[in-house]
Amino acid sequence: MRILVIEDDALVADGMVRGLTQSGFAVDRVSSAEMADAAMAREVFDLLLVDLGLPGMDGFEFVRRVRRSGKSLPVLIVTARDGLADRVNALDIGGDDYLVKPFAVPELAARCRALVRRSKAAGNPHVVVGGLRLDLPRREARVDDEPLDLTPREWAVLECLALHVGQVVHKERLQQAVSSWSDDITTNAVEVYVSRLRGKLGDAVAVRTVRGLGYRLDES
Amino acid sequence: MSPAAAGEGALAPPSIRRRLLLLLSAPLALLLATGVLVDYFSTVPPLHAAYDQVLASSIVAVTAHLNIGADGKVKSELSDQAIAVLRADNQDEIYYLVLDAEGGYVAGDEGLPVAPEGPETLSFAYAEYRNVPVRVASYRLHNASGVVSISVAETTNKRREAVRGMLSYMIASDVGQLLVTLSLIWLGVRAGLRPLLALRDQIVRRSANDLAALDEGRVPVEVRPLTQSLNRLFATVAEAAKAQHRFLADAAHQLRTPLAGLQAQLELLSHELQQHGAADPALRERVDRLHSGMQRLGHTANQLLALARAEPSANPADDFRALDLADLAKDGVAAHFDRALVAQIDLGLEASPARVLGSDWLLRELLANLIDNALAYTPAGGSVTVRCGTISPDAVAMQNHPDCAFLEVEDDGPGIPESERARVFERFYRLPGNTRDGNGLGLAIVEEIAQVHAGTLDIAAGMGGRGARIRLTLAAGE
Repeated sequence: MRILVIEDDALVADGMVRGLTQSGFAVDRVSSAEMADAAMAREVFDLLLVDLGLPGMDGFEFVRRVRRSGKSLPVLIVTARDGLADRVNALDIGGDDYLVKPFAVPELAARCRALVRRSKAAGNPHVVVGGLRLDLPRREARVDDEPLDLTPREWAVLECLALHVGQVVHKERLQQAVSSWSDDITTNAVEVYVSRLRGKLGDAVAVRTVRGLGYRLDES
Repeated sequence: MSPAAAGEGALAPPSIRRRLLLLLSAPLALLLATGVLVDYFSTVPPLHAAYDQVLASSIVAVTAHLNIGADGKVKSELSDQAIAVLRADNQDEIYYLVLDAEGGYVAGDEGLPVAPEGPETLSFAYAEYRNVPVRVASYRLHNASGVVSISVAETTNKRREAVRGMLSYMIASDVGQLLVTLSLIWLGVRAGLRPLLALRDQIVRRSANDLAALDEGRVPVEVRPLTQSLNRLFATVAEAAKAQHRFLADAAHQLRTPLAGLQAQLELLSHELQQHGAADPALRERVDRLHSGMQRLGHTANQLLALARAEPSANPADDFRALDLADLAKDGVAAHFDRALVAQIDLGLEASPARVLGSDWLLRELLANLIDNALAYTPAGGSVTVRCGTISPDAVAMQNHPDCAFLEVEDDGPGIPESERARVFERFYRLPGNTRDGNGLGLAIVEEIAQVHAGTLDIAAGMGGRGARIRLTLAAGE
């Protein structure tokens, strides 16, 4: 997976490049938006890591231009600013996520991985989380290659969780996913499906309860 | 209450309305009293003159019936009928007396006092007859024998009645005028002060962060210099707030970028030393210490920036919008779930809709600090719960409050002793005996943000007296 880091501060850029390289990414680094344009014309990247405060064309303008040119690759915005306007802007102009400086290198790597995975998963008929593999068109789930016997509602819950792996999925959202099958389903019913799913999934993945909010599927 | 405040309470602050009413009504009352006196003196003497005129005409009638001989002897030829006519009066007794030149009795009521002689042949006087006050008119007729005097008197009932009637009419009408004038003045003062009161309301209604210029269109010219100065002040403060905003943005960038670089480099160095098994374990420990110190520095820089940003002067009111605390609470719990997982703390949510008017990112910052704080002080195996909702109007109806929305974080950690609760919101304050890493800014940020939202914070023990519960209460939005 290839990442383009666009960061003018040498110390930060060096830290990013080394940290991401250690985490298994191929990393190129440029120090301005203009240089990034040139790099992107030559190579194909899986992820852009953009600092907002760049010399010359700033990060906002650069991301806006990338989006206007129709490129859909994920963009992680790294910023030293944290005012409301900046946060909102970062996502509005087409950033997929943002990280405020200073950050921990492992967190940076984790966010990059999540973004790349999400972009790869879009349109991909298979979702793989740890030992769990979902075949979306065939509504089939396998744990360590053994097919799971799931009811349609259990499948709906698992599919919804797997499509948002690592993110908290609100109980109401799961309820909606399940109700499309029939009648009214209470959030209590969602709890029942989740607990049955846990039994069937075993240790392959972790379905974590976020009390009062929902559930999160993680690699165990 | 401070002694100064108590003093102010005793002495009411000056009021333009009261001052105007006082200044106008005192001289007005004096003027009207004078008016009553002038009326009295201009109407009562003519009244008496008119009655005197009637007395005089009675004298003429009596005189017509006197037969004065050439020798000066006077004889009364008044018939009983004429006397009856003379004495006919509903209200007053009428007396008469005719004396000859020697002062001898000729006819009439003996002993009736005679008005002392004046410059005219006809003179008037007040006297007393048969223990009753009377008005006497006397006419002195000069003839060869000397002066014959004819007097007619009447008791003063009619006059008294007339004067009393006139006086009470005058007083009633003057008091009426006074009242009408006073109410006109009151209405006038009210109407006159209206633009001033409108200006006051315009200022009172503004939120504390509103630095927009006052509308001077309908401000009276008399106070326009005041509003102009205020507007200049607002503009200056707004400019200062903008400058502070710019400074904070620059400071954030200038501080965080090198911190991010240093932190990343130290992290990598520590990682590499571990990977390659550095010969000197002491070196590794030193790098780890540097790394954790750098993390603390980064955290403190972030908190200081957040604190500065949370100050009212750095927050224009236009950041405020309608939002639901439940959305913030959901995001807050989701964002801290990983930390709770690592710390083995059960982080949960109990959210009901709670609409308020506020700054989205400031309230998120507030909640993040409350959750951070709770996670930091709750031991593994404990639980932290974020709650929000509205407090039913019934519960606070006694104080006649509007609906309130609340956002709170409860933990079952060691709690905050009651004696420390007032102090924990102070900047850099840390609980005695607290050995954890921390800068004592988290709750100060919470307090600052609560103030910007005109909210109240309170700390209580958690459920069952364990742990701590910090609650923010705000006025509920629509």
